[in-house]
Amino acid sequence: MIEVKDLVRQFKSGDRTIKPVNGVSFELGKGQLASIVGKSGSGKSTLLSLLGALDKPTSGDVVVDGVSLAGLPDGKLTEYRRRDIGFVFQQFNLIPNLSAVDNVMLPMEFADVRKSARAQRAKELLEQVQLDPEKHSRRTNRLSGGEQQRVAIARALANEPKLILADEPTGNLDEQTGEHIIELLSSLSRDHDTTILVVTHDRGLARKADRRFRLHQGQLNEDVTAGR
Amino acid sequence: MSVLARSVGNAFRNKIRTAAVVAVLAVAIGLALSMLVANQAVGAKVQELNASVGTTLTVNPAGGQGFEGGGEPLTAAEAATAAAVPNITSVVGTKALRLRTETTTTDTADAAAGAAQPDAGGPGGQAASVTTSLTAAVDAGTLGNRNNTGSGTGTGTTNGTEPARTFTLPITATGTAAEVDSSGKALDITSGTGLGDYSAASTKALVGTTLAEKNNLKVGSTFTIAGKTYTVAGIFDAGTTFGNNAVYLTLAEAQALAETPGELSSMVVTVNSMENVDSTKTALQAALGASKADVTQGQRNLETAVSSLNSVKGISLVAYIAALATAGLIILLIMVMLVRERRREIGVLKAIGARNRTIGLQFVLEALVLVALGSVVGAAIASFASGGIASALVSSNSSTAAGATGQRGPGGGPGGPFGGATQLLTSVTASASPGVIAAGIAAVFAVAIIGALVPALLTARIRPIEVLRGE
Ligand SMILES: Nc1ncnc2c1ncn2[C@@H]1O[C@H](COP(=O)(O)OP(=O)(O)OP(=O)(O)O)[C@@H](O)[C@H]1O
Ligand SMILES: [Mg+2]
Repeated sequence: MIEVKDLVRQFKSGDRTIKPVNGVSFELGKGQLASIVGKSGSGKSTLLSLLGALDKPTSGDVVVDGVSLAGLPDGKLTEYRRRDIGFVFQQFNLIPNLSAVDNVMLPMEFADVRKSARAQRAKELLEQVQLDPEKHSRRTNRLSGGEQQRVAIARALANEPKLILADEPTGNLDEQTGEHIIELLSSLSRDHDTTILVVTHDRGLARKADRRFRLHQGQLNEDVTAGR
Repeated sequence: MSVLARSVGNAFRNKIRTAAVVAVLAVAIGLALSMLVANQAVGAKVQELNASVGTTLTVNPAGGQGFEGGGEPLTAAEAATAAAVPNITSVVGTKALRLRTETTTTDTADAAAGAAQPDAGGPGGQAASVTTSLTAAVDAGTLGNRNNTGSGTGTGTTNGTEPARTFTLPITATGTAAEVDSSGKALDITSGTGLGDYSAASTKALVGTTLAEKNNLKVGSTFTIAGKTYTVAGIFDAGTTFGNNAVYLTLAEAQALAETPGELSSMVVTVNSMENVDSTKTALQAALGASKADVTQGQRNLETAVSSLNSVKGISLVAYIAALATAGLIILLIMVMLVRERRREIGVLKAIGARNRTIGLQFVLEALVLVALGSVVGAAIASFASGGIASALVSSNSSTAAGATGQRGPGGGPGGPFGGATQLLTSVTASASPGVIAAGIAAVFAVAIIGALVPALLTARIRPIEVLRGE
């Protein structure tokens, strides 16, 4: 489903260049749930941004369902992000002056989903991530970190993407809510054939993963000791 | 939630800043609208003045405008010459008479005194003086008496015998070949009818309102001039006291009364269009000869009035454009600032799939919300301020204009040389008409869209990866 070929992303900081992603290659099949661990600053977020077409690699390519991102113009990359990708940001990145529902409806608006359908689906998604119904219409800058994180997850699911890229999606959640989110993600991969790549240090989540990766010094290595 | 709703929401995100931006925009927009209103008002006034000066030229015998004038009288031959000049549509000859009130006592000394003052016959000495049963509707006043005794001193002989003689102003009788006044304007007949055939001699007359009132004349009443009985055919209103202290006769009748058949005291020439007035004036002067006739254009002080109004119009136009540009610049800078401030958020929108044009549209709409608010407040400011601004512009300009206008003939006119121009200029009333305000606001929006388009296009260059950058 997604095929990563010798991906490199380098940054210049001062007079030296750093390569948080330095020759990463892997493949994920449809419906697979994969986890990535790695030290802080090892390049996990950088790798996800390349897979989600937020950023362009220095070299290498990402091929999604046979289409190479390297060859796509900006307009097509926008369409790819809108239709195929659900991104859960490490810092949530909700629009602060919009309500939770409005935030979840945004990707649907960009995808030209009918207004009534948008509101209905946004409500269902917020219920799935267990956001208190009375907070659905609250502005997101007045929600707690964990609440914002769940709104961010709901937003990522809005357009039923085929690839979900989640950066520490349970980092701000208590154990119980975290487990619920983990269950939600794994059921998506199991029942809806959604491919999911999660950056996480949560052992529960890692245990549920079909594939486990570790990013170290720009290289991605698969941990093949145990399966699901 | 739509793009529009989001834009409106964003416009009010920082209420204090929004209020400040709207206030600044309102001042710029209000100024722009005021200037537009002033421009329109002055433009309308210029048109009105041009229309009132109209397309008429006045022809007088050469040198006939001053008191010391001489020269030969105009005749039908000159009228024919004038009519042959290109672009001239009509030539109306007039013959002026001065009517003196008959003294009831047959005081021969007084009658002799009247006859002995030919130079009191007015400019150029070409208005013959005859007697009438009518009494002038205008009091001579201090000036009239002073002028009269002055000329009496000049003749010398009868001076000592009549120290306390009061003087009544003469009444002007004009023989005209068409139903127009001496400046070529159509007579405003308020009751009765015109004189019918203006080319033939007739005992019908038109009488000014105040003169008719003073002498209890109605349509059908009679009075005498030089002992001959005339019937009032109509009563006209010339708009001024002096203008209404007058009688109009047919041209042939006036010429007969003055015993100068074929002679004209002046001609009113109508040119076919405004643009041709200047060239036709030159052509007519050449055709008649400078030694024979003077060609003048309507009320001369109007020219300076019009040109100073035109400069006010120019100033207000420049100020309008400048204020409009300022509004556009304010929008541009504010939006550039907002785009920079919301870089990360724009990155988020792109990361979750927003098209560039959606984001651009959102920012343009946000700018328009600010402009709409600014326009509402600005229009209110304009409707308050435009009158004041227009008259401030006009009066500051008219002080120079009035100085340039002070070259009228000795004796001035009613109101004096300054009064005329200033009255003319301050009569510009700028009222904010809804149509002009609407057009102005449309222009503001057009400029605002241009101003907002630049920052909106800047948003297209922000990359989605901005989302991962720290604030
Ligand atoms: N735009 C950039 N310019 C320069 N250096 C960058 C840029 N973005 C990331 N880096 C660097 O690349 C490295 C990897 O960053 P990244 O955010 O991918 O780490 P991470 O694995 O997600 O860390 P964490 O677990 O703390 O989130 C870091 O050293 C970071 O400083
Ligand atoms: Mg990270």
